[in-house]
Amino acid sequence: MSDATDPQNALTLLGRRVVQSIIEGSFPTLEIPDRSTENIVFDPDQRQFVLGGSRVVRNSSNIRHVKSFAQLLWTAYFAKELLKASRTSSLRDLYYSSEAFGVKFTDQSESDRVVTDLESLIGLAREDFGVFPEEHSSVYGQVTMRYTVPGYDGREVELTVSPDGLPIGPALMTAEPVRTGAEIVLAVESGGMFGRLIETRAWERFKAILVQLGGQPPRSTRRLLRRFHEVLGLPVYIFTDGDPWGMHIAQVIITGSANAAHVRGLTVPDAKWIGVTPADINNYSLPTEQMNDADLKRLDELTQDLRYTGSIWQEHIRGFRELRRKAEQQAFSRYGMDYVVDTYLPDKLH
Amino acid sequence: MSQQISGGEAFTSISPAEFFYRNRQMAGFGNPTLAVYSTVRELVENSLDACDDSGRLPVVTVDITTKDSDAVSVTVSDNGTGVPYEHVAEAFGRVLFGNKYSARQRRGTFGLGATMAALYGQVTTDCPLEVHTQTEESTGKAYRLFIDIEHNVPVVETVADLGREGPGTSVTVHLKGDFKRAQDRVLEYLRMTSVASPHARLLLRVNAVPQAEFGPWTDTPPRPTTASKPHPRGADVELLKRMISGNSEKRLKDFLTGSFQQIGDRTASRLLRYMCLDPRKSVGSFTREEVSLLSAALRSFDGFNRPEADCLSPLGKEVFLTSVGATFEVSFSTYSRRGPSDWDGNPFIIEGVLAIGTGLPPSEVPTLYRFANRVPLLYDSSEDVFMKSLKKIDWTRYGLTASQPVSVFIHLCSTRVPYRAAGKQSIAPIPEIEAEALPLFREMGRAFSKSAEKIARSAHDIKKLREFAKSFRMVAGFGAALAESEPPSTDHLVASLFEVNDNV
Repeated sequence: MSDATDPQNALTLLGRRVVQSIIEGSFPTLEIPDRSTENIVFDPDQRQFVLGGSRVVRNSSNIRHVKSFAQLLWTAYFAKELLKASRTSSLRDLYYSSEAFGVKFTDQSESDRVVTDLESLIGLAREDFGVFPEEHSSVYGQVTMRYTVPGYDGREVELTVSPDGLPIGPALMTAEPVRTGAEIVLAVESGGMFGRLIETRAWERFKAILVQLGGQPPRSTRRLLRRFHEVLGLPVYIFTDGDPWGMHIAQVIITGSANAAHVRGLTVPDAKWIGVTPADINNYSLPTEQMNDADLKRLDELTQDLRYTGSIWQEHIRGFRELRRKAEQQAFSRYGMDYVVDTYLPDKLH
Repeated sequence: MSQQISGGEAFTSISPAEFFYRNRQMAGFGNPTLAVYSTVRELVENSLDACDDSGRLPVVTVDITTKDSDAVSVTVSDNGTGVPYEHVAEAFGRVLFGNKYSARQRRGTFGLGATMAALYGQVTTDCPLEVHTQTEESTGKAYRLFIDIEHNVPVVETVADLGREGPGTSVTVHLKGDFKRAQDRVLEYLRMTSVASPHARLLLRVNAVPQAEFGPWTDTPPRPTTASKPHPRGADVELLKRMISGNSEKRLKDFLTGSFQQIGDRTASRLLRYMCLDPRKSVGSFTREEVSLLSAALRSFDGFNRPEADCLSPLGKEVFLTSVGATFEVSFSTYSRRGPSDWDGNPFIIEGVLAIGTGLPPSEVPTLYRFANRVPLLYDSSEDVFMKSLKKIDWTRYGLTASQPVSVFIHLCSTRVPYRAAGKQSIAPIPEIEAEALPLFREMGRAFSKSAEKIARSAHDIKKLREFAKSFRMVAGFGAALAESEPPSTDHLVASLFEVNDNV
């Protein structure tokens, strides 16, 4: 328990470095890997995007840095207290806890950013020190998981136990997949589609574990997808809205996000985006909406994005550009409640 | 004032003494409260002038003795030159007699003040004026004297040899007056006098009990002023007549070059061409019309240089700022000065201090404290030229807000202060003075707004330092909590950082 990969030890070492520097009469500085999109590079070995060599220096003698420096050390302190007590906390909880210590965050996005700073500084994911996002995604399907969290250690749960699906929280994220009757993992963007697929027993028909992403999925969900893929050997399919945002949800699952490029074990490089693609919108004559300025601007950004250099991705972007229209997953409902299950998904999954 | 003429009544003339007694409110003796205040004031001003003449730092003691509810004795003692014996009776016992007619900056103006106090005391209590004086050359004498009001002549009742501790004069006036009500005013007067005469030590004793002491705030006496000849632009008919009477045999050109400043041979020649009078004619033979023609020409000729200012004695930047700072709790002050300029040939300088501080009263426009020739003016401010100018300034432009304790101290130095009345409480709206007052106020306003920005900046810096220190203590504190050690001290690091910043 004394190497730097042990989270508690890593945090203690961080504190010692800061105190030592002050005792020696110099202002502590920290070097944090630069997380801007200019500093992400594709790592062919890991088949995901990782951070490049660029680093930002945070100097506590700088008036503009000292506040976030203090926030960072408080966050480290808070994480260490969580680990010592074997407790977990949500990002929101962490944001509110700060006030009791006189540490001020402008909003939660600031505290989230500082948590990410700490991750990249000590090279560990926030889940390693007990900080989880709010749960807003769920899982349902024929798979049995064995818990590893204190109090539930060794207990097993079958993921069809609730017709609403189970929320993906800290316990499920760290649970071990034991056995499964499923053959694929189907990740869907919206809760509505997730519910539809459970009700229509589509999971039985396609032998699928259903994962509800709830928009851009939290890391715990991405981690779970990867485990299903790695441990159970199941292929992962991603079904999102037909717009730049939906496409990017799939992209992040496949190659990773800039914001988490410092974290390993979140990507599923073999996952496939099945749609809704621009081609689907034409082929299925889906009802569409006009793209707004934000949508078009997002398309421009994605054109420049390293992760979209592949020809298939470029073709999707071109397709959206030509259409200038977008379609939601629910657009299939124009052909009846079961069309998506009876026609679209069989087309795309086989 | 105007005499009614009705049948059977003869025309009568009255003496200046009688005139002033009848119109005593003009000289500031209108009621028992004012009478006490004005008596103190006139005697103190005489004393300070006498001390400045001697070059000594003035020590002026005001002794008030209250006998019964409405009888008061005021004694003012100084360490000045003393009064030569041959002049004592005239100086104190005759209205409009004095040494203050020459053109130089003095506190007193009309040679009226002390005598007016004596006159008022004599009429209300029937007591004589007591003067105890000693010069460098003499051993000291004590006088008791009355004024023959009808004939404006002094009557010495008794004289006795009486030594003093040193040269100087003590004057005692017994009068009917209300000291209780005048007390605050007297205190304020002495306090303000010490602002404008910061080299003086002023003491107030009431029934032999010390009540207050002000100054000295500086040990530098004011620069001695030199009396100068009158400037031709100030030559009204009265002045001309007085000057001619001493020089009646002189020819016009010699009279002009010899009696006025700023007139040399060349200016005199140009002037004479301009006014079409015979330069060789002796001035004594001038007719009334010719005198008035001469006066008009002197006042309208635009070829004179402005009057010299050696006869003026402003406080100066250092001294004025010091005395304001010593009298009030001041956090910021700025000094400005305009002039010398002149009005009707009388040179003047205006200097001012604008001060901010907790010890000053807050108000929407700055509180104005007025001084003329080192004399504080406490009454009738609303009609004063400086108050009017002050109100013309839009002070909000300079970042002045209501509730800010800002005060402006204005000192006008001139060979002649254009008082609005003989009570010497407010200054007449002379256009030349107003023309200098406005830019003076604006200059001080600009200095204030600059400093206000600076204060805001430094407040901002202090806030930043505090925030930094707090954040940095957290860095140390949480760092130590992580390391499970004692938090290290951060003070020296924070201090070193901000020292460096100060030098940048």
